[in-house]
Amino acid sequence: MQLRSEIKLASMIKAMKDVVIPSIDAKNDLAIQQAHLIVGLLNLMVHQLPVQFRFDRDELKRLIDCAQGLSGLSTDDPSIGEANKTLGTRCAAAAAVLERCAGDPAELTAAVRDLREATGELMAAAASGRDTAALGVVEKAVLSLSREQLLRDRSLMLPQGWEPDPTLIPEIQSLLQAVTGNP
Amino acid sequence: MQKPDKNSPSAEWIRSLRARYPVEAEIDHVLTRKMERRSGPGFSPIPLEELTRRVESLLHAKLGKQPYKFGDARWMTGGSSKLQMAFTLEWDRPGVGREKTKMVLRMEPAESIIETSRLREFQLIKAFDGIVPVPPLFWCDAEAEFLPYPALIYGFAEGIAKPTKTRPNSSRNTTSGVGVWFPPELRTDLARQFVDCLAKIHTRDHRDAGLTAFDVPQLGTTQCAEWGINLWDRIWEEDADEEIPLLRLASGWLRRNMPTLDRHSIIHCDYRTGNFLFTEHDARITALLDWELGLIGDRHQDLAWSTSHMFGGLDDDYKTFLIGGMIPESKFIEDYERESGLKVNPKTLHWYKVYNNYSLAVMTIGTCYRIARNGKTHQDVLVTSLIGTGHIFLNQMMEQIEEGL
Repeated sequence: MQLRSEIKLASMIKAMKDVVIPSIDAKNDLAIQQAHLIVGLLNLMVHQLPVQFRFDRDELKRLIDCAQGLSGLSTDDPSIGEANKTLGTRCAAAAAVLERCAGDPAELTAAVRDLREATGELMAAAASGRDTAALGVVEKAVLSLSREQLLRDRSLMLPQGWEPDPTLIPEIQSLLQAVTGNP
Repeated sequence: MQKPDKNSPSAEWIRSLRARYPVEAEIDHVLTRKMERRSGPGFSPIPLEELTRRVESLLHAKLGKQPYKFGDARWMTGGSSKLQMAFTLEWDRPGVGREKTKMVLRMEPAESIIETSRLREFQLIKAFDGIVPVPPLFWCDAEAEFLPYPALIYGFAEGIAKPTKTRPNSSRNTTSGVGVWFPPELRTDLARQFVDCLAKIHTRDHRDAGLTAFDVPQLGTTQCAEWGINLWDRIWEEDADEEIPLLRLASGWLRRNMPTLDRHSIIHCDYRTGNFLFTEHDARITALLDWELGLIGDRHQDLAWSTSHMFGGLDDDYKTFLIGGMIPESKFIEDYERESGLKVNPKTLHWYKVYNNYSLAVMTIGTCYRIARNGKTHQDVLVTSLIGTGHIFLNQMMEQIEEGL
């Protein structure tokens, strides 16, 4: 998926700085201030997006450490004891989540790109090679892969309004749910 | 093997691409120039006053001591790949006398969605002056001798690119001529002129058209098709970020099924609704624009382009597809054959439909990404938005390949 947040944010910031802000009426202080705030928040997103997942994972890890440190808390107060028990239960659930989030989104994206490249190289080798049977097999696999992937790519872009007949494209949520089973 | 740095390409890598993908000499020149300049600065906004000063230096060189008055400079929208500035020039126009002429400067940014030659565009428009409606052309600064980037100056053509009336209840994005719709009262007249002009373009003899910046592919061979595939394969290598295995499949399919060129035609290469101007009150086409991709090649390339589903839409019955929002494909082909006297080969037409979608996918997903990533244009935000169309072209291409497998 090529149209990722990084390139969208960079082009929006450039358009605001180069075209929109210089065109605002110099007497419209409110518009000028808000335009600069938009650029500021977009720049903040550029800064935050690459580390957002790790930031949340890091926070969760420290919350778990904190909760685990409190697990041995001794108290005569039943309400404190009850609250700590709840913390322990939630800590166990959070620890399970943290374990499932061991990978980084950047690694996921890199793996996608890597496998796309290797598949593309195989396709190119088959297309310029002499084994027509192998070519047929690779073509069939690539077409099958592309058919499903393009449906998802197009669904993800639906709000842009390019599709000639958007009713033919399923919602992205239903497409992702069908394969991964995730809600 | 070490991956090339596409944002700062080495001379050796550029040389290897040129050797691997032979294309026409002038196209090779502009693509090589693009790659050699890639690591240079992105596009910086040029103040109107600065551009005005540069235009005046060109006018001074072209008009000599002739008195003239330059004025009314303003930015224009339209055209997703080039900057456009409108202005007026009061001068002694050759063959006309003293007049105030409305003009347009059309200039490249640091890199474009399509890297093309201003010289070729200039020669093509000149070649069709008096044959089909084209804007009057005045000067060409092909190598940026006067202006910050290569540019053309032509006369302002009256008219609009899309109807003022919009389709009721439509939310479709019509940026850059995509998915345009015409009200029924304009369709018949515009469609007739659209076909007539295409027939005239394709039957114009290239040999007396002054097209010195063009190479001529050999008749009876697949050289024309091969140059085309080489061009887009090369651009994909130069610009693409994320690999798309389907494009590798398509390139292989195109090479295995190349059509033989049966006749030379001059090809516009972007002949579609959105690239002509018209006046609504008399439904008249006033100018055919955007000749920059034009070449000497196979007429089926234009026919396949015009009939792309991306550049048309459904009739009001929401069943019949109208090419360019004007005319059903079967009628378009029938009228074209009658007006041009040229036959349409369905197999070659199909090949060029795949080819055109291949080129559009390369342009939108590969080049749009690269130039926006490097901040090379005056409207990176539009270029970035266009990346989202790429999957539609890929899907059309895939379905067309499956039809032909």
